[in-house]
Amino acid sequence: MRNWLPAILILVLGLALPVLIHGGFQLRLAMLICIYAIFGMGFNILFGLGGQLSLGQQAFFALGAYAFALVQIHFAAPLPIAMLAGITVSVVVSLVVAIPVLRLRTHYLAMATLMFAMIVHDVAVRWTGFTGGSSGLQVPPPVLFGMRLERIEIYYFIFAIAVVAFLVQIFIKSTHIGRALQAVKADETAASSLGVNVVRYKVSAFMLASVFSAVAGILFAIVSRNVDPSYSNIGMVVNLLTLSVIGGLASRVGPFFGAAIIVLAPQFLTGLQEYETLIYGVLLLLFITFLPRGIAGLFERNSMPTLALAQPNTGSTDAAKADST
Amino acid sequence: MVSLETLAVLVLSGLTNGSVYALVGLSLAMTYGASRVINFAQGEFVMLGALSTVLFVTTFSLPMSISIPLVLFVCAIGGFLIERFAYRPLIKRNADPLTVMIGTLACASIMTGGALLVWGPNQLFVPNAFSLNSISLAGITSTPQQLAIISCFAISMLVIWLLLYRTHFGLAIRAVGVDPNISKLMGIRAERVIAFAFVFSAVVGGLAGILVGPFLGGHVAMGLVLTIKGFMAVILGGMGSPFAAAAGGIVIGLLEAVVAYYGSSFYAEPIIFGLILVTMMVRPAGLLGEWEATHK
Repeated sequence: MRNWLPAILILVLGLALPVLIHGGFQLRLAMLICIYAIFGMGFNILFGLGGQLSLGQQAFFALGAYAFALVQIHFAAPLPIAMLAGITVSVVVSLVVAIPVLRLRTHYLAMATLMFAMIVHDVAVRWTGFTGGSSGLQVPPPVLFGMRLERIEIYYFIFAIAVVAFLVQIFIKSTHIGRALQAVKADETAASSLGVNVVRYKVSAFMLASVFSAVAGILFAIVSRNVDPSYSNIGMVVNLLTLSVIGGLASRVGPFFGAAIIVLAPQFLTGLQEYETLIYGVLLLLFITFLPRGIAGLFERNSMPTLALAQPNTGSTDAAKADST
Repeated sequence: MVSLETLAVLVLSGLTNGSVYALVGLSLAMTYGASRVINFAQGEFVMLGALSTVLFVTTFSLPMSISIPLVLFVCAIGGFLIERFAYRPLIKRNADPLTVMIGTLACASIMTGGALLVWGPNQLFVPNAFSLNSISLAGITSTPQQLAIISCFAISMLVIWLLLYRTHFGLAIRAVGVDPNISKLMGIRAERVIAFAFVFSAVVGGLAGILVGPFLGGHVAMGLVLTIKGFMAVILGGMGSPFAAAAGGIVIGLLEAVVAYYGSSFYAEPIIFGLILVTMMVRPAGLLGEWEATHK
């Protein structure tokens, strides 16, 4: 019960939010919180559960959003079909990328995924004819079953997806997939000796995370009505990492808290003008210094175990391990 | 057919940029070797180095010979502060390595934000320590500043090699890199070694900033790109040692020069990222990864 309480509070608050706040701007912020929370949940599965550090999730965020926009623009596809197309493109690409890239570990994996995301970003900027270049693409207003969605309906649509994503995340954690991923995170050799197909589970985690990222990207496109290369830039992955750490790595509800802070904090800080970057850095540093396990670390005892990203002697063990795979 | 002169020009420009990436890369590797943290504020020291040069030379009109030590001193203080107020408290609280990384990212934000208050958002002209007039050496045109970057990189490599392999302190640094806890049992003050690594890396970053500033121009937001280039160098070379990272940096610099010359410069960036990605697939522990593992 103790573990479910924060989730129930978020559910009640999320359902009641359109009654509590009135401005369209505030509702937009609430939608962004849900979207970043979904994005964070994907990272949670990949890194929190599976221990695979990817700095390239923003690529799937962007791929999903671009495919979603392009299918609507070129084929006038209805919303559910376009969403499905966005997710499919993202998952297929993630499969193609995952198989070679997941042979790498720790910082090497982080760098390879970052390289991939930077290629996606560069192509989005440069392939002007297809992606619209730096100015991006316009996304048509969302229409579901012949009915144009109003702002509050869009909010509930996004919130519902966030709730589903949350349940999927918990479901994955509690099934054999979650256990297998935790085993892979703790020790790949030990996991494989216990009969866990390490490659299969790592690739599955990567693909699952890409689904979450694509869904988040698609919803982001619906809210901002525009897809541009900023979806896949460095700032996006910095947001993702920051929200994951602030919320609490490997925590269930952590992504909601982390997302709330990274969406709302800049709103309060814009008044500081030229001091904004400095104060943001100072607050972030103070925050993680005094709450190194994130907001969820305050109340969630039974969070997923975290494990050192770097091995004691990375230089040679990495080489040795890379040899053995 | 490539003329010898074209090749020489390509190599020279590749070496110049490569030396900067190598300096950032080797400073990242020095910190990583001792503390197991990729310091995402490392590129900010290049920014701090370049912009402090503007402050001391242009604003305070101090001569270069006094300014350079002052700039390096400022960077050393910066490195010390990051170790003392970001790295150490987080490690003491047993933070996840990703949390520590976000801590260094917060430091990068603080440095950028602080620099924004001091220097403003505009790109500034960074005074050059060496002449920018072109000179001709055996038919190849270059500038003393360009040659200074390359020689500074070579000297740094030599100093680091002497430090790591010819002194007792260097042995201590390498021991902490292998295992901080066991090195503590051997009587090494691991905290000091780690603090030294942060300060030393900051100074190397600042030095790179002084040298490359006149070419890149000083801008408060220049740090992150350089951190990423340095990180690329570290990974491409292999995380084993500063020398592997330096080799990675040189390779990236040369690659950039060649791709920009032969390929379309428009698509140069994604092509380089793609090439690095392919290299990583072929050599998953970096170009010198396995060599480092067997020759330590």
